[in-house]
Amino acid sequence: MYSLFGECHALWQARSLLWVMTRREVAARHAGTAAGVLWPYLQPLLTVAAYYLVFDVVFSMRLGDNAPTHAVGAFLVVGALPWMAFCDATARGMNSLVEAGGILQKNPLPPVLFPMRAVLASSVIFGPLLLLVALAYLPQHGLTWSLVALIPLLLGQLLLCALLAYALAILTAALRDVGQLVTFFLSVGIYLSPILFPLALFPERWRWVLWANPMTALVLGYQNVLLQGLWPQMAVWAALGLWILVLAVLLNGLVRRSRDQLVDWL
Amino acid sequence: MNAKHVELPDDLVLRVRNLGKEYKLYPSPRARFKALLTGVATHRSHWALRDVSFELRRGQCIGVIGDNGAGKSSLLKLLAGTLQPSCGQIERVGRVTAILELGAGFHPDFSGRDNLYFGGSLIGISPERMRELEPEIAAFAELGEALERPVKTYSSGMAVRLAFALVTAVQPDVLIIDEALAVGDQHFQKKCIERIMAFRNSGCTILFCSHSPYHIRHLCDAALWLRGGHVAQFGATEPVLAAYDAHTRERQEREQRALCGEMLPAEGEPAESAPAADEVPPAPVAAVDSGTACILSVDVKDLAEPVGDQPGLLQSQDLVVTITARGRGNERPHIGFMIEQSKGVGITSLATHEDGAAPRQLPDGSWQTVLTFPELPLHSGDYVISAFLFDETGLAVYDEWFQFLHLRFIFPKPLPGLVRLPHHWS
Repeated sequence: MYSLFGECHALWQARSLLWVMTRREVAARHAGTAAGVLWPYLQPLLTVAAYYLVFDVVFSMRLGDNAPTHAVGAFLVVGALPWMAFCDATARGMNSLVEAGGILQKNPLPPVLFPMRAVLASSVIFGPLLLLVALAYLPQHGLTWSLVALIPLLLGQLLLCALLAYALAILTAALRDVGQLVTFFLSVGIYLSPILFPLALFPERWRWVLWANPMTALVLGYQNVLLQGLWPQMAVWAALGLWILVLAVLLNGLVRRSRDQLVDWL
Repeated sequence: MNAKHVELPDDLVLRVRNLGKEYKLYPSPRARFKALLTGVATHRSHWALRDVSFELRRGQCIGVIGDNGAGKSSLLKLLAGTLQPSCGQIERVGRVTAILELGAGFHPDFSGRDNLYFGGSLIGISPERMRELEPEIAAFAELGEALERPVKTYSSGMAVRLAFALVTAVQPDVLIIDEALAVGDQHFQKKCIERIMAFRNSGCTILFCSHSPYHIRHLCDAALWLRGGHVAQFGATEPVLAAYDAHTRERQEREQRALCGEMLPAEGEPAESAPAADEVPPAPVAAVDSGTACILSVDVKDLAEPVGDQPGLLQSQDLVVTITARGRGNERPHIGFMIEQSKGVGITSLATHEDGAAPRQLPDGSWQTVLTFPELPLHSGDYVISAFLFDETGLAVYDEWFQFLHLRFIFPKPLPGLVRLPHHWS
C-alpha cells in the first residue's frame, strides 16, 4: 500500500490547489452559459423530476409486494441519482489524465490531482442533490437514526469513485480502448443493479451478477435508509468494503508500475 | 518524487547526481496495457539520459547544447519536475520556474484574468499574492482591456505574452528555458530578454537550452554538452562550444561523405562536384516599411556576376561589405558579419558591438556600416558570407541573412592554406 499512501500524501500537500482546481472544473462545466452554475445542478435535478412526474403523477405505476416501496418514481429516484453521480465521476475521472496531458507535461504537478479534481467536482454537484432528495423523503419515516447511515454511504461512494476513476484513468492512459469499453459498461450497468427493478424481481440464480456492479451495495443502502427508514443491511457494508479494498490493492499496483512513465503516455 | 527540496551546501541551488531517464518503448499500447496489468516487462529500453551529474551555483547561467535527441529536453523536463527520473537524484532549493512551452493550460472560455489566477495556483502563486502581482503582470503582457476577454479571443502572441508574464512574475531561484526566446514580436522578445537578464543580475540561476551558439556565448558563463544522454563536457563556455563545434563539423563531414559515397557509384561523378552554391540562397526580404527591424541590403564591392553555378569572383584584393539595415524606432542597432568557407569551417565572425563600433544613421533613418578587410588575408577559394542585425544590447537577433552570398577569391600567390596570419620573419 506504500504507493497509495504516497499519492495520498501528495494530495494532502496540494490540497489548496486541489480545491482551486475543483472549483474551476465546476465552473468550466457551465462556462459561457447564461444560467451559469445552475446548469450542472439543473440537469440531474430535471431528470429525476421527470421520473417522478411520469411514473408517480401521470401513470401512478406501482411495484409488487416484495419491493422496498410501491411508488415506481420514488423507487427510481433513490437509485438513479446516485447512479448518475457514479457515472459522472467515473467517466470524467477516467478521461481526466488524458485530457490533462498538456498541463502535466508542462507543470510539475502530481497526476493524482486530475482524477481527484474530476471526482470532487462531481461530488460537489451531486452531493447536495443527494441530500436534497434525502430531505424530500424525510416525511415518510421522519427523523430516524438510520439517516446517519447516509454519511458513511456518501463517503463510501466518494472513496469508491475516487479509487475507480484513478485506476481507470491510468489504464486509459496506457490503452485508450479502456475508455470506450468502460463507457459501454456505464451505459448497461444500470440494468445490472437494483435501480430500475427491486432486487427481489431478479431471478435467484442470476442475482450474484448484480454484486459485480460496485454500485449495487450503495443503491441497496440508499433504498434501505430512504425508502424503508432502516439501517442498511450487513451485506451492503460488506460488499462496499470489499469493493473498496479490491480497488485500493489494484490501484496501488497500477500506481507503482506506472509512476515514472505515466506522463510519457499522455 | 525524486526531486527533493533540501539543504544544499554553500551557494549551490541544484545538485544532480547519477540522473537517468529510461523511456520504456512498448511495441504497441496493448503490450503496454498488458505490462501494466501483469507487471511482465516486454519493453525495449531507451535511456534518454544516463549518469548525468552536475552542480549549479547561485547566479550561474548554463547553456545546454547537444544534437537532436541528445537528451536536452528530457534533462530540462526532469529538472522542472514534469518528468519523473528513472534513477538518480535531483536536489534543489527554492523556486524553480520552467519556460517550456508557453500558454499551455489556459482555458479558452475563461477570461485572461481568470486564467491568470488559475495558472498562478498551478505554479504556486496564491490568489492573495496574485492580487498584488496582477497590475505588474497586466502591464508587462500589454493586454489592457483584453484581460477581461476570454482567452479564445486572443491572438497567439497575446496568449504567449500573458503566459510569459505569468511564469516570470515571481523571481525564481532557478529558471529553466527551452528555446522559448523565439516568441512573440521583436518588441516583446526584447522585453523577455531584458527580464531574464534582470533575473540573472539579481542572482537567479539560469539553465538555458538553445541551438544558437550565439546566444549561449553571450548569455552563459558555462555550457553543458550532452551527447547520447551522457555529459560529454561541462565547463567554461568557450572550450565546450569549441569542442561541440568540432564535433558538429566532423559529423556533418561524415554525413556528407556518406552521401557522396552513395552518389558516386550511381552517377559516376567525382565527389568534389556539386558546390554548395547551387542551392538556392534564401531570398532576403527587402520589406520597405513593415515596421520591423531588418537588413535592407548587403553589397560586396567589386564582385563579378556569378557565372552559371560558379560563385562570383571578387575582383579586388580588398573585401568591402556595405550593410544597410532598418532599425527599430530610435534604437541604434548593431550589425554582425560572418565569413566561412563555402564547404568547410568558419573563418571569422565580427559584430559592431563586439568591436566597439556602431553603424551610422543615414538621412532616411536607416543604419549603415561599411566593413573593410584590406588585403583580404585569405587564400584562394570559395567563401560564403552572412549578415546579422542585432538590437542595441547585441542579444536579440532582429534579422539574419544566413550564408546568403557565395563568392570566389583568388590569392595571386599559389600557396596552399586557408588564412594568412599576421606574422614576421627575422
